[in-house]
Amino acid sequence: MTDAEVTCREPAPGTVEIVVTGEIDLQNAGAVERRIHDMVDNEARSVTIDLGALEYLDSAGLRVLFTLASRLELLQVAFDVRVPEGSVVRRAVDLSGLGDIVAVH
Amino acid sequence: MQPMDPHGEQLRRLQALTDSDLARLDVDELLEAVLERVRDLLHVDTGAVLLLEPSGAFLVARAALGLEEETRQGVRIPFGRGFAGRVAQERKAVTIAEVDHGNVLNPILREKGIRSLLGVPLCIGEDVIGVVHVGTLEPRIFTAEDAELLQLAADRIALATRARMTHAELTAASVLQRSLLPGLLPEIPGLELAARYVPGGGGDVGGDWYDVFDLPSGRLCVVVGDVVGRGLNASVAMSRLRSAMRAYALVSDDPSEMLRRLDEQTRHFEPDVMATVLCAVVEPTLDVARVSSAGHPPPIRAVPGHPGELVEMPADPPIGLTRSRRRHTTMVDLPAGGGLVLYTDGLVERRHESLDTGLQRLMSAVVPGPAELVCSTVMGRMIGNHQAVDDVALLVVMRSAAAVTGGSLTLVEPAEPRSLRVIRHAVRTYVEALGATPAETADLVLAVGEACANAVEHAYGPGGGTVEVQLERDGPRLTVTVTDTGSWRDPRGTNRGRGTTLMYALMDDIRVDRGLGGTQVVLTTTLGRREDTA
Repeated sequence: MTDAEVTCREPAPGTVEIVVTGEIDLQNAGAVERRIHDMVDNEARSVTIDLGALEYLDSAGLRVLFTLASRLELLQVAFDVRVPEGSVVRRAVDLSGLGDIVAVH
Repeated sequence: MQPMDPHGEQLRRLQALTDSDLARLDVDELLEAVLERVRDLLHVDTGAVLLLEPSGAFLVARAALGLEEETRQGVRIPFGRGFAGRVAQERKAVTIAEVDHGNVLNPILREKGIRSLLGVPLCIGEDVIGVVHVGTLEPRIFTAEDAELLQLAADRIALATRARMTHAELTAASVLQRSLLPGLLPEIPGLELAARYVPGGGGDVGGDWYDVFDLPSGRLCVVVGDVVGRGLNASVAMSRLRSAMRAYALVSDDPSEMLRRLDEQTRHFEPDVMATVLCAVVEPTLDVARVSSAGHPPPIRAVPGHPGELVEMPADPPIGLTRSRRRHTTMVDLPAGGGLVLYTDGLVERRHESLDTGLQRLMSAVVPGPAELVCSTVMGRMIGNHQAVDDVALLVVMRSAAAVTGGSLTLVEPAEPRSLRVIRHAVRTYVEALGATPAETADLVLAVGEACANAVEHAYGPGGGTVEVQLERDGPRLTVTVTDTGSWRDPRGTNRGRGTTLMYALMDDIRVDRGLGGTQVVLTTTLGRREDTA
């Protein structure tokens, strides 16, 4: 099984920070998506996903991010993706055009 | 020619029968033939042989004459009760002059109208293995001479039965043993497996086994074990432990946890069983194995250019002995071209020789190479032309040497999500060996991953199929061909098609050929061009 670890913290009420490490591909994308959805309740005002330590991200994983982005936009929840220059998956994120619809930094 | 008394002549006929003519009969045929002779000899109407069950609690009808219902209904007589039970318990001849409800438990005997009975025990030394009894439809007083004759026949039956049952047990144990060894070892790209099993001398099968299977996580589980004891009981216990290990491997892929559960199960359900087991779980990346030992000798690690070395690891207690505080898992690096050799103690133990000497000999016999060659070299050096006293099981797991020369790489994997990780690892290892930068490697791995994910998602119906990945290098140019033999259908759902966009952005060129026989995606890229930013 492709392994990804999804952890969550809430530094202030309504501010959700989710860190994903390991790998995301076709095999575990659905499971990662469910984990993320479980972590974002209806009280959330902003969601940050940190992919700085992620080791692999393919289009199935990107699909999770795009779906989440459109869902959160509908719910008027701020969403940004943290994937600094030099991160392993930065290139996949850049090429996907995710930066056009959410803040990537 | 001397005059002969009729009894003596008939007895000789009985003896001649058991000695030669009956040699080819199985237990049931033998018992029936002997019963016929006994009937003629003693002028009785019925006869029956009951054998004691392994538990020792019941006698079960095994052969009958004039009382066929006994065997057909599987009559069971408790040891010590009824007529046959008394004969077995008292271990001497018992006669009943007049059958009634008080002295005969089995209704069949009464319904048949049997009036008088004579029974004697079937004994091997001090052990009772069963009872033979004869009966008459007319009242009869059986004499001491009758009892003596029946006992003579019984002794013949006992020996012949024991010999045949032992033989049947041996055959069963041997069949069981061989049927449980994996026939075909799983094929794992980048890994070679080879195994040997040789039963020990003396014609008795022991409880050694080996097992190899892949797990849903993409990991490979390798087990070698040795149940204490010999014969059918050890083989049956082995088969249970083997199944239990497979079940626990689906619950946890930590070998010490699997062994902890196996130990718990064994101590609860099979308190008489003791075994040593070594379990290794090889990561999908193939470069690390996690190993745990339950009282089993540690594996030998093979490293190219070095003599084999004993893996240094704690030996936790054997299975089935005592609750152990904590079991340990040890990480073992598996370099390309290296591997692990697992074995049972029959391979290294010799009479009049310390175990260390045997282990030293094994270490020097392990020379990295193709797994089959390692296997035959070890068997040749350790066993040679000797008949091993104990069972020997040997299992060799070798990593293929990496294609550092820039040769081509071909992978064929099931078109399933779990294959993606395996393919990525193989591609990453291959291009890193070519000297690609981390950024180039990441691009290529992602592009190939996307092409393969497409085949997994879109090429096949529920029956599935395979995806083949071929990497070829021509100078700085690298060509990757991803082939499936399915029929393409367009992606469904929202947010799809991004993978293809990624592939085009990552590679110099993409060519997609969709035909009736499947889809071929050819990716080309040039190494040494992109500035590394990663």
